[in-house]
Amino acid sequence: MSDPAASRLVHEIRNQLAVAVANVEAFRDGVLEPTPARLTIVLDALEQLENLLREIPSERSS
Amino acid sequence: MAQTPSRTVLLVDDEIAVMDVLERYLRDDGFNVVCAADGPAALEMFARHSPDLVLLDINLPGLPGTEVLRRMRSERDVPIIMLTGRIEEIDRVVGLELGADDYVGKPFSPREVVARVRSVLRRSERSEAPASSSERRVGAITIDPVAHEVRVDGKPVTLTPTQFKILDVLSSHVNQTLTREQLLERVSADGDVFDRTLDRHIANLRARIEPNPASPRHIVTVFGVGYKMIDSA
Repeated sequence: MSDPAASRLVHEIRNQLAVAVANVEAFRDGVLEPTPARLTIVLDALEQLENLLREIPSERSS
Repeated sequence: MAQTPSRTVLLVDDEIAVMDVLERYLRDDGFNVVCAADGPAALEMFARHSPDLVLLDINLPGLPGTEVLRRMRSERDVPIIMLTGRIEEIDRVVGLELGADDYVGKPFSPREVVARVRSVLRRSERSEAPASSSERRVGAITIDPVAHEVRVDGKPVTLTPTQFKILDVLSSHVNQTLTREQLLERVSADGDVFDRTLDRHIANLRARIEPNPASPRHIVTVFGVGYKMIDSA
């Protein structure tokens, strides 16, 4: 896990997950209203996650 | 309800969509919250607001979070909780090298973060309070300037920072009249209390600590001069 590219990727995935998790939990707890603007923030984070996942090589080269 | 409603937390994260959620949770829990989105801004807010605790993301633009932590700690021993998306950094962060008080890995539950904030604050306040040597007793009122606690007849009372400062100053000069100017000078180091609001602060303070605020026994008005705290025990 000392590969810097992989490390950066994992870090960015965690950051985007953090956005989605924190916001959805806030909706559940009634701390924030799930307004269209807020939901867009979550959707953007999920979209970013999808893009980041595409950067992961599906197979490690042998 | 929050036992420490006037504590200030400095929140530092460049991910605004995470930071504003945490801000809401902390505010709902009774904290004052100030925010910064990069390292230099964090240091500026730190100097300006003297937070009681810092929630600090490691990966910051401008200045790395680790360097921000070092500089804050060189100023004073403030409790710091690190936020990190890099699991491999955790050992270094909470280990001896950096000495953060705690860490939270991303993604996190905002509720969990608030619970950690409370627990780290409790821990640091306990370790700061040197037994009861710092406590002062004036009649039924106990003031602990280190733990920032006031009790009346043994029951904890919540005061705003300004009310606390006024009580702290008056109780360290028992039976001595302090002029309005003397009180203002000692209470308002950062210029946030003005002459005309002093009376209001005193009235609010009396409402919390006097058995009958209309006829105060502890903090009495010396007409034309100022105020005096009386040991009526």
